[in-house]
Amino acid sequence: MWYGFAGKLLRVNLTSGEFKVEELDKNELRKYMGCVGYAAKLLYQEMPAGIDPLAPEAKVVLATGAVTGTSCPSGGSYEVCYKSPLTGTWNQARSGGAFGPKLKYAGFDFVVIEGKAKEPVYIYIHDGKVEIKAAKHLWGLNVEETTDTLIRELDDPEISVATIGQAGENGVLYAALINDRGRAAGRGGIGAVFGSKNLKAVVVNGRGGIKVARPKEFAAAIEKAEQWLKNYPLGSIPTLGTVGLVSLNNSLGILPTKNFQETYFEKADQISGEVLNRKYQIKRRACYGCSFACGRYTSVISGKYATPPMEGPEYETVDMFGPICGVDDLEAIIRANYLCNVYGLDTVSTGMSIGFSMECYEKGLLTEKDTEGMPLRWGDGEVMVKLVEKIAHREGICEFLAQGVKRMAEQLGPAAEEAAIHVKGLELPAHEPRSESKVLALQYAVSPRGGCHMHPNWASTWDFGQLDCGMKEFGMPWPPKEVQDESPQKGIAYRYVALQGEISEILGACIFYSWGTEGSCITPQLYAEIVSSLTGWDVTAEELMLAAERSWNLKRCFNAREGFNREHDKLPKRFTKAIPNGPAKGIKVVNLDVMLDAYYEAMGWDRATGNPTPEKLKELGLEFAIMAS
Amino acid sequence: MGDPSLCTGCHRCEMWCSLTKYGEINPSRSNVYVVRREPAVDVPVVCIQCGLCINVCPTGALKRDKKTMAVVVDKEKCVGCGMCTNVCPIGVLRIDKETKMAAKCDLCGGSPACAAHCPQNAIRYEVANKAAAKRRELWAMAHAVRNR
Ligand code: SF4
Ligand code: SF4
Ligand code: SF4
Repeated sequence: MWYGFAGKLLRVNLTSGEFKVEELDKNELRKYMGCVGYAAKLLYQEMPAGIDPLAPEAKVVLATGAVTGTSCPSGGSYEVCYKSPLTGTWNQARSGGAFGPKLKYAGFDFVVIEGKAKEPVYIYIHDGKVEIKAAKHLWGLNVEETTDTLIRELDDPEISVATIGQAGENGVLYAALINDRGRAAGRGGIGAVFGSKNLKAVVVNGRGGIKVARPKEFAAAIEKAEQWLKNYPLGSIPTLGTVGLVSLNNSLGILPTKNFQETYFEKADQISGEVLNRKYQIKRRACYGCSFACGRYTSVISGKYATPPMEGPEYETVDMFGPICGVDDLEAIIRANYLCNVYGLDTVSTGMSIGFSMECYEKGLLTEKDTEGMPLRWGDGEVMVKLVEKIAHREGICEFLAQGVKRMAEQLGPAAEEAAIHVKGLELPAHEPRSESKVLALQYAVSPRGGCHMHPNWASTWDFGQLDCGMKEFGMPWPPKEVQDESPQKGIAYRYVALQGEISEILGACIFYSWGTEGSCITPQLYAEIVSSLTGWDVTAEELMLAAERSWNLKRCFNAREGFNREHDKLPKRFTKAIPNGPAKGIKVVNLDVMLDAYYEAMGWDRATGNPTPEKLKELGLEFAIMAS
Repeated sequence: MGDPSLCTGCHRCEMWCSLTKYGEINPSRSNVYVVRREPAVDVPVVCIQCGLCINVCPTGALKRDKKTMAVVVDKEKCVGCGMCTNVCPIGVLRIDKETKMAAKCDLCGGSPACAAHCPQNAIRYEVANKAAAKRRELWAMAHAVRNR
């Protein structure tokens, strides 16, 4: 009998068209807890180094965790784990909506996808049954059309569809997988991986539900979480959505602008959460089981940027298609977001690729000869929207843009390097690593999937927000020194920040709720109460920490095996130069190495290579990940 | 009383209902139904305790609770024939797949779990007068041509 989990893994081989259901081993699952922890083990063991992420041998794991699909308020998530074609590193892309919960109600915790279908197919999983169905008629359709067609065809309005659009079919290296029409497993190019496998979509529905080991105790723990979240420190997010951050960040001088050349946008008040709410919002929308509802439906009713009702935009997207491209027209931003939703594109990498080319155009590295006569000027919303459209179809200049910033810069030569804002090939999201927080700068440098502020946490919440997230009692340095300090304390603290965030990742929880202090967020201690009563395992916060550490180490090992090491843990050059204007003028990153040293040491990793030592891996019971060298 | 204008489609009410009634989390074993459709439709549908189902039950298993006025299922009498599901005007009565008996909202004996836990206050337990007024409002709005 399984509580909390479905207890099953589905393995689909697209080459042979066969699938297999495997029973999970309780002890092995508990060692990693589930979700990305268990997926890291699977991919490390089953996908040898050097495999081309777009080759049939590449594998994809769709993963849910203990709290996915439960009434734990953060339980709407699932993660897609894979090797990224954009970066060549480990990648995990999280998404909300209903997909994760419904996969579990259908009877599976994990789906492993292997091989490559001869012709387009989709996978249909419902109530323990699995079908691999022809998708020829869906190929070429966008996300909305695909979703609607499948709902009609399968005659079930309650299915959850995770699909790629044209961008994934065409192999755009940062194409996303979109579920429930507007929820994106965005970063790293999973859409291109699906496309390379001739896999259009995965469709799920189920009525199995999730059994609870100790319902009364579980209900009490969830009630406690609901109570605590009433004091949630980012409580303003539901009213304005994450877009509320635009005004706040601008006033602090931490709003990335013109491809990170600046951190302050004069016209920020024209694209703020307030304007979005007043003029374009239709309603607030929650992921499955979420009491927070940061999502929203918006639409531009008429004009050249008209969109039907759509999910978004989020803060990241507004900055990417707004300040990053110098655009102050919110309607153009919403339209660009809509196109990313329907074509299946990561809004961050798309916006950054356009911002990069605008900077290159400004500097004369790209001319109208390269751009089919189109001037790529800062602030030109019309051109920006046109570029999004062309990227999805890889037309003209956008064959070039579809490769992402790192590859573009390599082709343009050393002069373009200054404008290439990425780490390990992943374009940075909308948080300034110089001025927002120095732990964030460190996080960008070391995150396993590249320039990323979310996996496995948003480090600024510790540094900038002064939130301990329940980690003080584990020994996290407290209080944080001032935000701009670059002492070893920052490196040591990041160990705790990372592991605390990784706990959410291995439970299948949305990361939003783990930011706060005791009494205002879901701390590891409270997660332990929830998971214990749910699964019947008596899990402590320490055990969650240990499982999180296994997961965090395995991802590092995955990357190490692909040839990544300390050398790749660096920031774009631009951040060693001072911010030129705005409230944060003069700030830069000076001592990344000091923070790196302290962080590796705190993790028990080798200082020279930045990778886990054999001793550390033995201590964690991960002997299989010790490299033969 | 479910209010679509506040509902975000989170399904927490369904989860709490099934947790309270069956000790599991399973929206398909819930007595409140959240209809979430694209684009942007979220409607919590609950039993309006109209009593139509009482009359068609051949065994007399459905009756009104004196205290809450809710229509409740008598587990001793229900044979799971499904007659009641045929008449329910809003489709909120089901035959539970495990107990094989009629299952419907019993207002949790007067302290509804769904209302207590709806994060948006979109499900509320109201006194009769106010509830009637609100029902008129929702009924009218649901049928009005959308002209915004
Ligand atoms: S709990 Fe409330 S907001 Fe959530 S789906 Fe139910 S009625 Fe809607
Ligand atoms: S279950 Fe249906 S018929 Fe019975 S009281 Fe409720 S709404 Fe009326
Ligand atoms: S009042 Fe109780 S039984 Fe009725 S829908 Fe709400 S939780 Fe379920």
